[in-house]
Amino acid sequence: MNRVSHLLLIEDDDAIRTGLELALTRQGHRVSVAASGEDGLKLFKEQRPDLIVLDVMLPGIDGFEVCRRIRRTDQLPIILLTARSDDIDVVVGLESGADDYVVKPVQPRVLDARIRAVLRRGERESSDSAAFGDLVIDRNAMTVTKRGAELQLTPTELRLLLELSRRPGQALSRQQLLRLVWEHDYLGDSRLVDACVQRLRAKVEDVPSAPTLIRTVRGVGYRLDAPA
Amino acid sequence: MTKGSTTTAPSGNGHGHDRSPSGQSSGVPPHGAEPGPAHPRASWVVRRLRLTSLRIRMIAVCSVVALAAAVSSSGIAYWLNRDAVLKRTQDTALADFRNQLDRTVTALPLEPSCQDLQLAANVVATTGLRYDVAMTSPSCTVASLRSHYTAADVPDALRRQVEQPCMHCTTSPGQYHLFWQRVNLGGVPYLIGGTKVLPSGPTAYMFKSLDDEQRDLDSLAWSLGIATLLALVGAALLAQAAAATVLKPVARLAEAARRLGEGNLDTRLDVTGQDELAELSRTFNHTAAALEAQVDELSAREHASRRFVADMSHELRTPLTAMTAVTDILEDEADMLDPMIEPAVRLVVSETRRLTELVENLMEVTRFDAGTAKVVLDEVDIADLITSTIDARAWLDAVELDAPRGLVARLDPRRIDVVLANLIGNALKHGGSPVRVRAREESDAHGDWLVVEVADGGPGIPDDVLPHVFDRFFKADASRRRSEGSGLGLSIAMENARIHGGAITAANAADGAGAVFTLRLPKNPPIKDGITQ
Repeated sequence: MNRVSHLLLIEDDDAIRTGLELALTRQGHRVSVAASGEDGLKLFKEQRPDLIVLDVMLPGIDGFEVCRRIRRTDQLPIILLTARSDDIDVVVGLESGADDYVVKPVQPRVLDARIRAVLRRGERESSDSAAFGDLVIDRNAMTVTKRGAELQLTPTELRLLLELSRRPGQALSRQQLLRLVWEHDYLGDSRLVDACVQRLRAKVEDVPSAPTLIRTVRGVGYRLDAPA
Repeated sequence: MTKGSTTTAPSGNGHGHDRSPSGQSSGVPPHGAEPGPAHPRASWVVRRLRLTSLRIRMIAVCSVVALAAAVSSSGIAYWLNRDAVLKRTQDTALADFRNQLDRTVTALPLEPSCQDLQLAANVVATTGLRYDVAMTSPSCTVASLRSHYTAADVPDALRRQVEQPCMHCTTSPGQYHLFWQRVNLGGVPYLIGGTKVLPSGPTAYMFKSLDDEQRDLDSLAWSLGIATLLALVGAALLAQAAAATVLKPVARLAEAARRLGEGNLDTRLDVTGQDELAELSRTFNHTAAALEAQVDELSAREHASRRFVADMSHELRTPLTAMTAVTDILEDEADMLDPMIEPAVRLVVSETRRLTELVENLMEVTRFDAGTAKVVLDEVDIADLITSTIDARAWLDAVELDAPRGLVARLDPRRIDVVLANLIGNALKHGGSPVRVRAREESDAHGDWLVVEVADGGPGIPDDVLPHVFDRFFKADASRRRSEGSGLGLSIAMENARIHGGAITAANAADGAGAVFTLRLPKNPPIKDGITQ
């Protein structure tokens, strides 16, 4: 990626903030930093960054709340910095709208790879559009409309929908989706997929609890169907 | 009356002397059933029987005591009564017989005719107290009117006694020596008295029926028997009641002890009264309270130390995150640094990574210890999983993989990745390449299993080390104090296998060529998923 991406790092610990700022700057990103959720939200509105790296444990409003507030208006990628990998934290974080997460202490190389993968999801493709019932996916304009109204999807949700729509009627396993969408080159956390599917269903399905488009295939994964 | 020597007739039937104590045999524990945890019902039955047998023992003991008391008192009463009744009847009859003879026989001529004798016998029999009379003289033998018996019915022993001259009897001229015996004639008890009237006179016998007395004594025996029986029943009922009052607290105690054993340390008994059982209950309560306090203290201490490790690891993580963030920069720049400084920078970088790994592993261990480790299950092709594990760590050239495609299991891919990385990394470190990894499927009574074998070509594991390879901070080579690992790798691998319901075993190859670690995982683990659809 040639363009220098603009990251906003929200992290309360001075040492971690300085360290990550140094590392990410060195990886070729432009980094703004904030030490609290409130400052972060303010900076976000002023500078409109391309991506946010967000610590979960923040004084004042915590990372989940920051994530939720941003998601009310914007669909930019958010990566959570979490201290725990297998607690309920991750689920809550993903449900509040984060695209991915990394566990502290994180290697800057790993974080950089995740950042670039998330940013790639929003890239345009030279492709046609496809319709599934009253859902229209325009792969060229990277927009999704439902009955003519444009849906606000995060890049990850959009990419997930695109990957599923490329193979209509074919079930994709969670691990396949992790490779395709999140670009994890090892077997990753399938909860990422589950949480993203749930958020996507909430936006594209008529009744999210009784999905007709994105179906769960028991024991395999997910499948996009054109409604009968 | 002069006392006579007697050969007492076999009379009187013993009452219940040989009755065996009731219910003893059923007190023996019936089955050899061992109470086992796998059979809660069986152990309940055994416990029940044990209580029941105590109950039976109490009832049996009370019954035996009651029986002994009743039988001995009735027996004594019976025998005293019988003696008194018979003696009175006997004395009366014999005295009367003597008087009658006195009066009648002295009136006989010196050589009485048979007719005289008959007459005398009739007189004695009719004027006396309802007994039959038989007389014999050298010339004839007579019996009183309507007499059922004659002198021939007199037992030989008595007859000899009567007819022999009595040497030691100091007889005054007007007295006869009167001998008697009780016999059974035709099923009826009789008192037979006999005497020789004067040395030359006739011999007279009397037959006094003791039938009435026998009947009286029989009915007395019956009454006593019934009384004994009633006493016995009463004793059994009392014993039952006593057993219930003793056994109910015992049963409650047993139940409380069982619950205590199951880990309900707050189990307490209600204590009422001051008896031994109340004392026992009180002791139980004290013991339970002490145990609870001790366990509480221990678990509080353990909790505190776990908490400490968890907190400490967590605290270490913040500076480590900052340090890790800049290690990449330092590493990239190391080549351009002063040769004096470069090794120092590399040392900082490598030790930071080591410290990071150690803290990660410590955190993982504390999660396992605290039971907060979660499993996120997914359907995974095991060949894919192993390939990605060795690929991600650049081990492709060092590992020979033999895994069929399409072998799918439900597992947490990230946790099993950790396990495989540990086993393969360990094999590479100690055995050197090539490491052979073989995956296959197995079925047994417990279901379908996924089996992954990791074999190396090294020297194998010494036998004394084998049992400890999964211990925390255990290093196979004691001389190598600084090993590359954290010392937690295999123990974490084992915990990860266990959390899936599986296990890892370590062994040496049969042909002596290296160590073999075998990971066994259920294909469908009996655990709940972290996230459900």
